[in-house]
Amino acid sequence: MIVWLLVLLGLGRAPTTHTVEIRGMEFHPAVLTVAAGDTVIWINRDIVPHTATASGRRTWDTGQLLQGQTGRYIARARGTARYACTLHPTMHGKLIITNN
Amino acid sequence: MSRSRHRLLTLALTLVFTSALRAQGTTPAPAPDLSDPQVAHVAVTANSIDIDMAKFAQTRTRNAAVKQFAQTMITDHGAVNAQAAALAQKLGVTPADNAVSQSLQSGAKQARASLERLRGAAFDRAYLDREVAYHQAVLDAIDKVLVPTTENAELRKLLTDVRPAIATHLEHAKQLRGQLGSSSRTSK
Repeated sequence: MIVWLLVLLGLGRAPTTHTVEIRGMEFHPAVLTVAAGDTVIWINRDIVPHTATASGRRTWDTGQLLQGQTGRYIARARGTARYACTLHPTMHGKLIITNN
Repeated sequence: MSRSRHRLLTLALTLVFTSALRAQGTTPAPAPDLSDPQVAHVAVTANSIDIDMAKFAQTRTRNAAVKQFAQTMITDHGAVNAQAAALAQKLGVTPADNAVSQSLQSGAKQARASLERLRGAAFDRAYLDREVAYHQAVLDAIDKVLVPTTENAELRKLLTDVRPAIATHLEHAKQLRGQLGSSSRTSK
């Protein structure tokens, strides 16, 4: 209720869901801007498994995603969240988390 | 499967794996005329060889990054093999042993024998050198021969789907090899 009141007052917005496709051994989009509270879903379209695993101080990890499987993360603290595939270290992505 | 489709599949896979044979230091015989079951066997064999080499590397290396790379080869080539098996099943093909598969296995045996003589950093360098050459050879075959000449849409899609993984393996292997130092000669 509070969230909706804030939305009506123009002081915030309802959380939304964003999708990152993993295909061709790349994250699409590689850079994604989201608001704190939004959900990011990764879906693996490749034959081989992948992960989306936070680098640096953040600790989220989708775990191993087989073809067709999805993993999710709810963006929390604002800032830049870099991540990679632990199975393929040449694959990188970035979330830019803004204030809601 | 039509005769022309069969010939196309045979040509494509034979070129890929004769290139891989060169990467293993084995001189390939002229491309034989393979049956569908034999072609399926070649595809499974090629993936299995890299899996077996990776399993051996995991027992030999003490380098965590090399061990992780080997695990990725096991996982990824296993996934590709599963797709190949599914395609073979879809086409009603039972893999059958053949001369190309045997040549691949012979080349792998030689490569394994060379690696078995090595320890430590020398082993890591030689293993990664082989992985770079193996994946480069397959990538070259896909880019220069297979995709441009393949008419069958299903086969071309499979090649296109697998190509990025081969390219990523190649970059991963090169990156790791670069981290292991400048020595390009491996020795006992």
